[in-house]
Amino acid sequence: MSGAESGDLWTEALGGLRAELRRRLAQVRGEEVEPAAVEAGVDWLALLEDVRRRFGQLGMRERSGEVDDFGLDPETIRSARLLLDFLIKRWWRIEVLGLEHVPDDRAVLFVANHSGLLPWDGLALAEIVAARHGERQRPRFLIADWLITLPFVQPALARLGGVRACRENAERLLGAGHSVVAFPEGVKGAAKTFRDRYRLQRFGRGGAVRLALEAGVPVVPVAIVGAEETHPILFKVETPARALGLPFLPVTPTFPWLGPLGALPLPSKWVISFGEPLASTGRETEAAADDLLVARLTEELRGEVQRLVREALRVRQGVFT
Amino acid sequence: MAKSIAITGLRTFLGRRLAERLALLPGLRLIGLDRLRPHGLASGVAFREIDLTRPDAGSALADVFHKEDVEVVVHLAFRREPSPDLEGDHELETIGSLHLLHACAGAGVPRLVVGSSTMVYGPHPDNPNFLTEEHPLRGHPHAHCVQNRVEMERMVADWTARHPGTSVTVLRPCWIVGPTYRDAVTRYLARRVVPTLLGYDPLLQLVHEDDCLDVFERAATEHHSGVFNVVAEGVVPLSTLLRRAGKRTLPVPPPVLYRLRAYPSQAQTGDRPEGFYDYLRYLWVADGQRGWEEFGRPLYSTREAWMSAISAERMRSYR
Repeated sequence: MSGAESGDLWTEALGGLRAELRRRLAQVRGEEVEPAAVEAGVDWLALLEDVRRRFGQLGMRERSGEVDDFGLDPETIRSARLLLDFLIKRWWRIEVLGLEHVPDDRAVLFVANHSGLLPWDGLALAEIVAARHGERQRPRFLIADWLITLPFVQPALARLGGVRACRENAERLLGAGHSVVAFPEGVKGAAKTFRDRYRLQRFGRGGAVRLALEAGVPVVPVAIVGAEETHPILFKVETPARALGLPFLPVTPTFPWLGPLGALPLPSKWVISFGEPLASTGRETEAAADDLLVARLTEELRGEVQRLVREALRVRQGVFT
Repeated sequence: MAKSIAITGLRTFLGRRLAERLALLPGLRLIGLDRLRPHGLASGVAFREIDLTRPDAGSALADVFHKEDVEVVVHLAFRREPSPDLEGDHELETIGSLHLLHACAGAGVPRLVVGSSTMVYGPHPDNPNFLTEEHPLRGHPHAHCVQNRVEMERMVADWTARHPGTSVTVLRPCWIVGPTYRDAVTRYLARRVVPTLLGYDPLLQLVHEDDCLDVFERAATEHHSGVFNVVAEGVVPLSTLLRRAGKRTLPVPPPVLYRLRAYPSQAQTGDRPEGFYDYLRYLWVADGQRGWEEFGRPLYSTREAWMSAISAERMRSYR
């Protein structure tokens, strides 16, 4: 159906409606009206079909149907940009430090502290790097297993560049030349209570360092400050969570009291600080096989991220300012 | 010298179409095996009646392989879709394969090609985005035909290790679509209103029937040993597939859909709904790299394969 044709349909329908109203009004006033002289036939079914078709087009517009191998849809990102920009610039007023340390010509492994139940930190980090170095350099953030099982969350994150955190995926992404954001603290980082905020947990089993060594990519340590306060976990409940198949149920000042609204992040002030890339030694594959060396490098990396976090905390004056 | 190729499951889609293709090639002797004689048998295919579910199928097969001096066996005697006859499916797919392996060992068949499916990896939330051929075969506990194939693949792997003299090719195609292919999956996708899982939109991967047959043809006529995923390039979310086809979707919360045991799968497949719908919930995309290096790139990407299938469907609806 062409635009002009459907436009006519609308004018016709509105015209009919107007004529009908005028007739009723005249009747109320008690004027003499010749009955149904001006009544125009309105094809309500055609109108309904038109509305449905318009909605269909609207639904089609937000997706290109071309996702990449990992499910990222550039069209979804484009339509989410307004919201992401608002969150980054207005809601969290993210202050970015040391972005010049991020090389723009090659894939890197970002290693960051993790916080918050929903991966807002990874999303914000990816968006900031993509805004600076272009969409082609958009890093993919790794997301925890339990998010994969959540309805709505999983498809949305996948279209925005989230990939399940596992060795095979990270290797494949780096091999394809994509930067990767890893949170080696994992669920332990996301699930820590407010009391333990900004205290880095154990860095997994050294997988991140081994991955970077094997793929031969530099590691960029990143501190993300502020994400802890988006969903401050007061305490965790485990028994009802198990019935829902979740590892735990967080209790925050807003969740579950406000229902789904409680899942909205609080407007804390954020600082994201990029450290200098850790130099590669040139003997990566041998180093990757040396477990003790990997463990030591992992500990060093954790120290570096912790140092960046402390620095960033000093930059920020208060939680909301 | 005429090379002879035996195809089990001559009446299945892959068996029939593969036999038709191979019959066009010069210098091949084709032996088609099935329980019943198919209608419209391609000329040049010699039919032998074999029922793989019978206890003496092994020796009967070995006789045929011996007499015809079979050099390649292509094993395609699998259900195209699950049937409510769980026992029968198991007898055919698992025990039938066992008989076939015994016959191959007895007759000393030098080459065996087995048709499996990428469904054997199973849909699991902890799958990596791309499953390589080495990934453990976990199947799905409620999809009995998939479980049969998993068991069959284990037997084939064991057998291969014990018979180093035989070159074994295992081909795992993903969901096949195309102008003429029909099974439970394409029937599901061809519904006017397609029930989907509310809140889930997995990436799917399809392969075109012609690409799939190309790979089987090359595996039957050339020497390629190993396990290969047979998939097209690219992945497409389920919602996009359905939208491209102009379908309406009916998103149903998974707990509700899983309780509707009579609708629509239970009656037709004998499985609980999870056995099918979990494949529309979690990732089970296979990595095709090894297959592409061995057999060449497929002509159709996932998206193109789907477009080819739905354009054929539209043409049919005008008839």
